[in-house]
Amino acid sequence: MHSFLSRGNAIIAYSLSVLALLTFFCFLSTEFLDYRAKAKISTPKILVKNVPDYSASRRENDLGYLTFDLQADLTPLFNWNVKQLFLYLSAEYSTPNNALNQVVLWDKIILRGENALLDFKNMNIKYYFWDDGHGLKGNPNVTLTLSWNIIPNAGRLPIIQSIGSHSFKFPSEYTTDRL
Amino acid sequence: MNVFDRFEIPLHMDYDGQRRAEKYSKIIITLFGAVGLIWGYIIQRFSQTVYILGAGFILATIIAVPPWPIYRKKPLQWQKPRSDDAKKGKAAPANTEQNTNKTKKKK
Repeated sequence: MHSFLSRGNAIIAYSLSVLALLTFFCFLSTEFLDYRAKAKISTPKILVKNVPDYSASRRENDLGYLTFDLQADLTPLFNWNVKQLFLYLSAEYSTPNNALNQVVLWDKIILRGENALLDFKNMNIKYYFWDDGHGLKGNPNVTLTLSWNIIPNAGRLPIIQSIGSHSFKFPSEYTTDRL
Repeated sequence: MNVFDRFEIPLHMDYDGQRRAEKYSKIIITLFGAVGLIWGYIIQRFSQTVYILGAGFILATIIAVPPWPIYRKKPLQWQKPRSDDAKKGKAAPANTEQNTNKTKKKK
């Protein structure tokens, strides 16, 4: 503390230590919160087609197509340690080939301060719903779930599944029209 | 040595001043940090906590980094230099040596 620089250095170092401690308190204050929430999903329109998958093998695979309605109130999830939510809608189903298939169909980023009261009607899926064979046609049990990844200022990046999922079945006939 | 010496502007803190400068800066930063944490929690914005801590940092820098005159109120009381040491020679050798050593170190 005898010179200009040593005093400046001591103050910077102490400020940074305090900042680290504050960040830790911020992390502690939100670490044990329950980040689950309800989501209501439904699927007004479901089709399945059989088309060549040029992105992979060029064989004809099942391509699912659907629109969905989604209602969820995610405003309670935001607090001082949440910068953004990464939402994604995924489909889970089993086929003779694989016991568990998971396909992400749609996603969305909600920043802090943006509207987190979701009410979507007739949304198109964002990503192709490819099966790696013919597992979609007539599949009796495909489950859609909404999940979110919380991006905090400090702490873990938990992935949380919404309460409430939606199961549907694919039609047992291929659609031959254009989508 | 530098330009300030020429104009005789004192740029040091005495020992007590250094102690107080450190104490003040720590109190200010801790206080702003605590208030910022509470305020940020109330309005649920951690950025406000960081800004308030930043304000505390700036205030502490202004108050405790420059050698303000209030940090020079308790200067060390040096013994007067004794001009008669050289003349008397062997009068009090042990005592004299100690004093000169001390003076050299501190200056």
